[in-house]
Amino acid sequence: MIEIRFHGRGGQGAVVASELLAQAAFLDGKHPQSFPFFGVERRGAPVTAFCRLDDRAVRLRTSITRPDIVVVLEPGLLRAGGVMDGLPPGGLLLVNSRDDPARLPAPPEVRRASVDATAIAVAHGLGTPMLPIVNTAVLGALAAASGAVRLDALERAIDRFVPARPAQNRAAARDGFGAVRLAPAEVAVRAPPVRAGRTLRAGLELPDGPLAVVSSATIATSAWRTMRPEIDLGRCTRCNFCWKFCPDDAIELNAEGYPVVRLEHCKGCGICAVECPPGTIAMVAEG
Amino acid sequence: MARLTIPPQELVHPGHAACPGCGAALAMRLLLKGLGSRTVVSVPACCWTVIATPYPTTALGVALLDNPIESTGASISGIRAAVDALGLPDVTVVGFAGDGGTADIGLQALSGMLERRTNAIYVMYDNEAYMNTGIQRSGATPEGAWTTTTPVIGVGRGKPERKKDIMAIVLAHRPVYAATLNPSFPEDFVRKVETARGIPGPRFFHIFAPCPPGWRFTSEATIEIGRLATDTGVFPLYEVEDGRLRITRRLSSLKPVEEYLSRQGRYGHLTGAERERIQAQVREGWERLRREESVGPPPGPVRPGVAATSGPEPATVDSG
Ligand SMILES: Cc1ncc(C[n+]2csc(CCOP(=O)(O)OP(=O)(O)O)c2C)c(N)n1
Ligand code: SF4
Ligand code: SF4
Ligand code: SF4
Ligand SMILES: [Mg+2]
Repeated sequence: MIEIRFHGRGGQGAVVASELLAQAAFLDGKHPQSFPFFGVERRGAPVTAFCRLDDRAVRLRTSITRPDIVVVLEPGLLRAGGVMDGLPPGGLLLVNSRDDPARLPAPPEVRRASVDATAIAVAHGLGTPMLPIVNTAVLGALAAASGAVRLDALERAIDRFVPARPAQNRAAARDGFGAVRLAPAEVAVRAPPVRAGRTLRAGLELPDGPLAVVSSATIATSAWRTMRPEIDLGRCTRCNFCWKFCPDDAIELNAEGYPVVRLEHCKGCGICAVECPPGTIAMVAEG
Repeated sequence: MARLTIPPQELVHPGHAACPGCGAALAMRLLLKGLGSRTVVSVPACCWTVIATPYPTTALGVALLDNPIESTGASISGIRAAVDALGLPDVTVVGFAGDGGTADIGLQALSGMLERRTNAIYVMYDNEAYMNTGIQRSGATPEGAWTTTTPVIGVGRGKPERKKDIMAIVLAHRPVYAATLNPSFPEDFVRKVETARGIPGPRFFHIFAPCPPGWRFTSEATIEIGRLATDTGVFPLYEVEDGRLRITRRLSSLKPVEEYLSRQGRYGHLTGAERERIQAQVREGWERLRREESVGPPPGPVRPGVAATSGPEPATVDSG
């Protein structure tokens, strides 16, 4: 059995990517399984989906905590934490990134692959430049980097299950297949992955009672963001409009009345930039 | 440095789980600025349940209770009784519910709470559909709007029915105070909250809450779209105290509704004739509001009093 975990943002198509992979594997004669993490799917928020592929019926029904392959639809998500959890030595990390795979922030014993799926999606007119739909290009790259599914099965699945622009999506998958770059694990590991018991991440133990007393401010929402506000304080009139309208309470006013963006909480909605009367706030793309 | 025009205190913490640019998130932030920390909030199943409680945390700096979607009105009657029994008259009790949970599923509980004269504030934040479950139409969805259950396909032209007039339903119960609020106008918003806080009795806020994913617009436009809703007459700002209606944002002329509709993907399919019909309805609603303002309240007592506590008398405990 191959276990694959997808990480994307709400709106990017991570859940559809997992389903499409399962459909392609089914057309290939496999017994697939695909389901999303049951949680909030807000636009921009980190989203997780799970896919299992086997030659026999899959009876497991749990989330994937020890994946063989982790697929990341956007490099910014590597900042979010939890993405690499449980990926064993010799496992494969595939990231939609312009970077050389050897430079991906991953432990050296992990095989790394990268593909510039954003450029491929934009070239084929999939989604918008702000929110490109990269899933088919990434699946093409996954087919090449892992052999988990055949490219022709993937193309057939796209034709049958992708309602919008199937031809462009097929072309994106083919381009992803050709464009993927691989960096081998720096330590060759052949041992089968060890199945550990369930571990709770620190700070997420069950509370003693039904009362939540920890503030949500302990949760960073910076990974939801693809754009970041930058304030030119030289032109700021200290009108505090940006502070007034931020839905995330992510702007503080300092002692002199100048706004300070709390980047750990800003979700990059862009409201402050639109509402700033002198236009001193620019939204710039996250690296 | 410009002085602050709304209170500095922040009782909605960052790190909450609303979508980027969520109008409902800003609505709660402004509401609690006006109410302060001596507040208990009851939230039914809706986007705000999810926004407030990214497990195991809370995004509110005040007491928060979750309740079933149909029970917000009953829940705040009960909380008021409990708070009064504890001898905490200065605590403000608030129900904060969505349009589906208010105008449809929780309508009987809202009506009961108003009829019982519960000393509490009921808020309906109106994102004009069942958003938390994926954009299904509600009684508050406007005519013509696309939702996943009023699709634009075949003969489907978005929602065929008109939006329920929740303010008219509430005003028929003669609340002590009712108002429409819009986070695009923070000063008017907070002033209404502060006014209502000082009047004991059943109170109601209808809050406009633009929703980027549900209305199909990009997140930076939330405030602009809210402003257009009021300035086109789609969501006029007014308050009704003791039956007297007062428009709080006066407009010498309305902007064309088209300026509002054209910013949102949910109206993208509308034909010229359909847009004209919406324009005519909006103009008619605005004229009716102005007439009601100039005519004044109907004669007779409009404030039937306030329940000391709500619900049945507590059972007497035999201490013997
Ligand atoms: C009796 C009942 N029916 C259905 C649901 C499922 N449900 C949870 S949230 C929600 C949407 C509520 O819509 P609304 O009140 O408009 O709030 P919004 O999510 O739009 O903020 C629904 C239908 C429920 N919790 N209880
Ligand atoms: S971009 Fe949005 S979330 Fe970030 S500071 Fe500006 S208004 Fe707040
Ligand atoms: S809105 Fe613009 S001018 Fe006003 S305080 Fe913010 S950055 Fe400064
Ligand atoms: S779906 Fe709409 S109302 Fe719900 S959190 Fe997102 S923006 Fe806010
Ligand atoms: Mg709603």
